[in-house]
Amino acid sequence: MNIGIKSWLDERFGLSGITDFMTKKTVPLHKHTIWYYTGSAILLFFAIQVVTGFMLVLYYKPTLEMANESVARIMNEIPLGWIIRSVHSWSASFMIAFVFVHLLSIWIAKSYRRPRELTWMSGVLLLLISLFFGFTGYLLPWDDLSFSATKVGTDIPRAIPVVGVWVTKLLRGGEDVTGDTLTRFFGIHVCMLPVFLFILLAIHIYLVQKQGMSLPLEAEVKQEKVKEIPFWPNFVFRETVVWLLLVGILFSIAIFFPPSLEKAADVMAPAPEGIKPEWYFLFLFQTLKIFPAHVLFVSGETLAVLLMFFAAVLFFFLPFFDNKPTLTKGKIITSLAFVFILYALVMSVWSLL
Amino acid sequence: MTLARPSFLILGFLFLFLLAWIGAPYCPAQQDVEQAVTSDLPEKQEPEKIIGAPQDIKQKTGIWVFVVWMWVSILVLVYFLRWKIKEVDRLYQLRYFSAKKN
Amino acid sequence: MKLKHSLFSRRQFLNGLIGGWVGAFLASLVYPVVKFIFPPYKEPDEAILPLADFQDMPPNSVKNFAWGSKVGLVKKNDDGTYFAFVGVCTHLDCNVTYRNEQRKFFCACHDGWYDENGINIGGPPPKPLRRLTLVIAGEELIIKKESPDGTS
Repeated sequence: MNIGIKSWLDERFGLSGITDFMTKKTVPLHKHTIWYYTGSAILLFFAIQVVTGFMLVLYYKPTLEMANESVARIMNEIPLGWIIRSVHSWSASFMIAFVFVHLLSIWIAKSYRRPRELTWMSGVLLLLISLFFGFTGYLLPWDDLSFSATKVGTDIPRAIPVVGVWVTKLLRGGEDVTGDTLTRFFGIHVCMLPVFLFILLAIHIYLVQKQGMSLPLEAEVKQEKVKEIPFWPNFVFRETVVWLLLVGILFSIAIFFPPSLEKAADVMAPAPEGIKPEWYFLFLFQTLKIFPAHVLFVSGETLAVLLMFFAAVLFFFLPFFDNKPTLTKGKIITSLAFVFILYALVMSVWSLL
Repeated sequence: MTLARPSFLILGFLFLFLLAWIGAPYCPAQQDVEQAVTSDLPEKQEPEKIIGAPQDIKQKTGIWVFVVWMWVSILVLVYFLRWKIKEVDRLYQLRYFSAKKN
Repeated sequence: MKLKHSLFSRRQFLNGLIGGWVGAFLASLVYPVVKFIFPPYKEPDEAILPLADFQDMPPNSVKNFAWGSKVGLVKKNDDGTYFAFVGVCTHLDCNVTYRNEQRKFFCACHDGWYDENGINIGGPPPKPLRRLTLVIAGEELIIKKESPDGTS
């Protein structure tokens, strides 16, 4: 019976091409194979975000008057609403954490070497989209903390010369953070970003399949024959084990450590104490804080933001800088990854003190 | 395989136990919401903070049952999947070697 | 009776077991999802209204009140007594209106007609308007769901 359905679909879609490819695709087995699991883990958490997001959007009301109240309703009135919200909130953190792990593993293993430059660049854009997902989602409960954090976050682009003011106005939907900002962030979070992410993800995944799994640099250099296992079913079964464990950990944490909801933001109130962005922005937040108010003739903030922007651009084009991976330049770039890890950790912890 | 099984289960239950130990103080935390309801006398008092939590004992038990069921399922499925992985790995190796011989 | 050959191979058994358990696990996830998507709607047990709002109604007129998220209708009869209905057409849920000159309730959606007691008399409505019990207690009007034995 199954065979009948398969051939029926194959006659119309030509699926046999895909299924043949899936059986032929192999995954190299070596001591760094574990990092191959990070990509699909991100996909798992994103799928959970979509499902829980679909559910939350049934009750969430994206207006200044109703946002906080609707989240309170989800937590108190709607059956098990607090679990769905908790899963959504934790899965966001898990997803971004794995995005960073994935990125760092690619950076250190130099998997972006030719011909995988576009995979890296689409990946960097995916990172930015993921961070923007987190940023826009953070405002939606509209409590004092998220309101203030958004005020700060949308003020930062203002430091960029010439275009900065326009970027801030674009994000806020005006001069200040208002109900318009909330509605705008909601539309971005629920409508625009998913579309952009799907397009980039399709490109990213297509490239990975087309070019096959990358090998570690040493294996390529020494031309050694690396043991391989078929993607289907061997690697997929292994991935499933990883997914099951991740889902278990996520749900357990979400059920026992659900996020709370503060009362609705008071636009007139002074900023609450202890204001901070989500954990993945802490190191940037602290970097901004350590710059002095003025450096020569530019404001410290402008300098910091420009430096960050410059670093991001360099980062985007990293495969082209790292074109001779075996030489000293290559080794320096690898060590920069560890410098970044250390920097991010130190800055994040410092910002919490 | 037999070596793997008991340690797996023990690790799994240890994890559950630790989670319960750490998570227990967070579970029945409903004071703020309850306060807001009972002190609803002259004016409507907005609760300072709403903490997500199960509403009654039925929900609390339901959640515990679910968490235990989830982990039991995961451990069972992982156990079986490890068998399946060994099986498909073995099959792949056999085919590989037999193809070479021919 | 002992079978000569087993009904399925060990591989099939294992696959079936895994598939079945995965199915059961996913099914257990469906329950909270469904509960979330279909929140319980509770009809109110009673509505307490100030009598003052309804005292000065002319006879043969209707005033509405909130019955949960539906519209409720209080009708003052010619003899000064009150009826209470759920003002929702029993055909396809539109809100009905009262035509005092004709002494009939009318549903504009599909031309449904009910008489002054809420009995369906014309058009598609299959049942009379749902009655609610109405009791005057001091300064208040207490409206409740109709009791099963039909007494108002």
